Amino acid sequence: MSNKIPRLLWLAALFVLAVVVVACAPAEPTKAPTVAKKIVIGFTASQTGKLNVESKKQIQGLELWKDHVVKAGGIKLKDGTVLTPEFKFYDDESSTDRVQALYTKLINDDKVDFLISPYSSGSAKAAAVVSEQYGKIMITAGAADDATMEQGFKNTYQTYTPASRYLTGAIDLLAKFDPAAKKIAIVHEKDSFSTSVAKAADPYAKSKGYNVVLLEGYDSGTTDFAPFINKIIAAAPDAIIGGGHFADGTTFAKQLYEKKVTAKVVALLVAPPEPKFTEIGDAAQNIVGPSQWEPLATFSEDAAKKAGFAWYGLSAADFTKDYKAKYNEEPSYHSAGGYVAALILQKAIEDAGSTKPDQVRAALDKMDLLTFYGRVKFSTEAKTHGKQVAHDMVYMQWQKDASGKLVKQMVWPLEAKTADWQPRK
Amino acid sequence: MNLWKQPFLWATLLVILVFALIPIVTGSAALREDWLLILLYLVLASSINIIMGYTGYVSFGHIVYFGIGGYVAFFLIQQAGMHLVFATLIGGLVAVLIAVLIGMPVLRLRGAYFALATIGINEAMRNFVANFEPFGGSVGMFFNYEVYTAYGGAKDALWLAYYGMVVVALAVVATSFFVKKSKFGLGLMAIREDQDVAQVLGIDPARHKVTAYAISAFFPALAGALFFFKNGVIEPGPAFLLHRSIEGLVMVMLGGYGTVLGPIVGAFVYERLRSFLITNPTFSSFHLFIAGLLLLLIVLFVTAGVVGWLRQKSPTLRRVLE
Repeated sequence: MSNKIPRLLWLAALFVLAVVVVACAPAEPTKAPTVAKKIVIGFTASQTGKLNVESKKQIQGLELWKDHVVKAGGIKLKDGTVLTPEFKFYDDESSTDRVQALYTKLINDDKVDFLISPYSSGSAKAAAVVSEQYGKIMITAGAADDATMEQGFKNTYQTYTPASRYLTGAIDLLAKFDPAAKKIAIVHEKDSFSTSVAKAADPYAKSKGYNVVLLEGYDSGTTDFAPFINKIIAAAPDAIIGGGHFADGTTFAKQLYEKKVTAKVVALLVAPPEPKFTEIGDAAQNIVGPSQWEPLATFSEDAAKKAGFAWYGLSAADFTKDYKAKYNEEPSYHSAGGYVAALILQKAIEDAGSTKPDQVRAALDKMDLLTFYGRVKFSTEAKTHGKQVAHDMVYMQWQKDASGKLVKQMVWPLEAKTADWQPRK
Repeated sequence: MNLWKQPFLWATLLVILVFALIPIVTGSAALREDWLLILLYLVLASSINIIMGYTGYVSFGHIVYFGIGGYVAFFLIQQAGMHLVFATLIGGLVAVLIAVLIGMPVLRLRGAYFALATIGINEAMRNFVANFEPFGGSVGMFFNYEVYTAYGGAKDALWLAYYGMVVVALAVVATSFFVKKSKFGLGLMAIREDQDVAQVLGIDPARHKVTAYAISAFFPALAGALFFFKNGVIEPGPAFLLHRSIEGLVMVMLGGYGTVLGPIVGAFVYERLRSFLITNPTFSSFHLFIAGLLLLLIVLFVTAGVVGWLRQKSPTLRRVLE
């Protein structure tokens, strides 16, 4: 009897121990249940009108991002939710007229979760009046005007380097490669974006000791640049900088060539980085273009590590390869801008682990990362909230290769160059 | 004229008001935006009708007054902190003053010469504004988002712009009706049919035409002020957009020129059609082609416009529809 009690005690103790061990054992990792949801991103696109070339590229970039996300199984959140992106977009006819009506429709009728801005600064400003009042997060792509982002917006975030920094690099390039140059002519489209660029380039050139011999604007839609070219010839500048958008910039470059204007540097906005620019043939040779991004850009995961930034997304080579495979043409910075606008949103949603605007906004405010497009960081100052503060321009030039074919080369900044800058003849 | 014995006027105003109230009652901002564009085009088309439909002067560049009103009001709100209502009225009055000054010499021209002159005026004004630094030059002007806080925030400000557009639309329809039914309106129509004969009958063509032109300038200016206040940004290109003028002419032709109801019907049909085509996934890629084709067919086969055609078909409708 006396032996039985300790045995029972032992058995009881063993039972208790077993229960405790089981209870204390690390729980087997339980997989969060997968919940599939749609995420609708809305925007207007300039499918018709004067901005359709740039806007079309932007849409193609966005579509490629969607393909990549869908192929990867969606945007995966920590709680197991998988978001499949969908787009809802309308044609704004390259005009601000319908932008507010269409953004109101996107928000109220189509119930979009997030917004991408229309192409162009004017339209983005009009869209922001609507998106801000509904507290909808809008990533701007193709809207570089500084003033747009200096209104104390709370929900608008800028992808592009602001307009004030578009052409300053071209002036630095001139100073580096042609120290004897003294005269600069600035001829620009009289629209919001191009005038902002010119207004920033003028004092910058003067501060570097240049004589701005001509500062003139031309109307949007100008097709005959003869009056301006005659003035340029009379002023004999070393460099001509300015332009506006694709159609006018291309025509301007062509007419400069036809009139045999011999400025060593011609740097024009928007048009030169577009592959279609080479359709003007020899007139495109040695034209410089400021670009938000170029396929030759060398931003990489290693570079991010070295600089201490987080890296996100695919490489420039993969983006270019996939873009060419889908559209059978070279991507431009408008394509990359469209892609990266959505990529930024994706990263913010992943970081937030939610699509709730407050949490996504907080993630965007904290964001400081390197992508194939370059560095992305937004101002968190009240007045300039959402303005792009980290991304920098690169400068490309059309040069002829050994076979006489026009190829794009990066010429500025020096650390990103793929070829030496060549003067125009 | 006994106001209470004008069933057409009251019925028309009532129908517009009922439709305009739908967004307000439902609180739908999307409907508000749709209706704001319809009302904007209604104002533009009805105003053009006063100078074109009643007087016979085709004003291709009539959008100039939309731009002037927009710019003046925008400037006053932004620079002087003036309230929207006062800025809008001043914008309208400045447009009237400019219309009188321009109208006196230009309305001496007839036919194609007048039409061409109005295009020139619009282009000249656009260029002037694009180079006029107080109006922001080529960059234009934009509101800091904070401007809307004086109106209770952007949301309330956009509703205020809508209420304003409803009032302006009702006012232009009433004005169009009274002009048509008045002795002054009969004078305009006499000028439209034959100016020389009208002059023989004792009508002062210059005074009549300038007055009609000034009236037709006032309402687009008010609409411009409200539209650009809502937009938050004004630039020379969109403010003096020639094709918006041409759209206004098309609406008048589509609905029936020289009638009160025609421009209303034209504005509604045209704007709804364009809006449907733009937002329809099937037609969105070639909406301009379809809109152009439909308008071509209407202009070819229904030359009097929808209201004109109805009036031709039925004597009863001819008595009822103005």
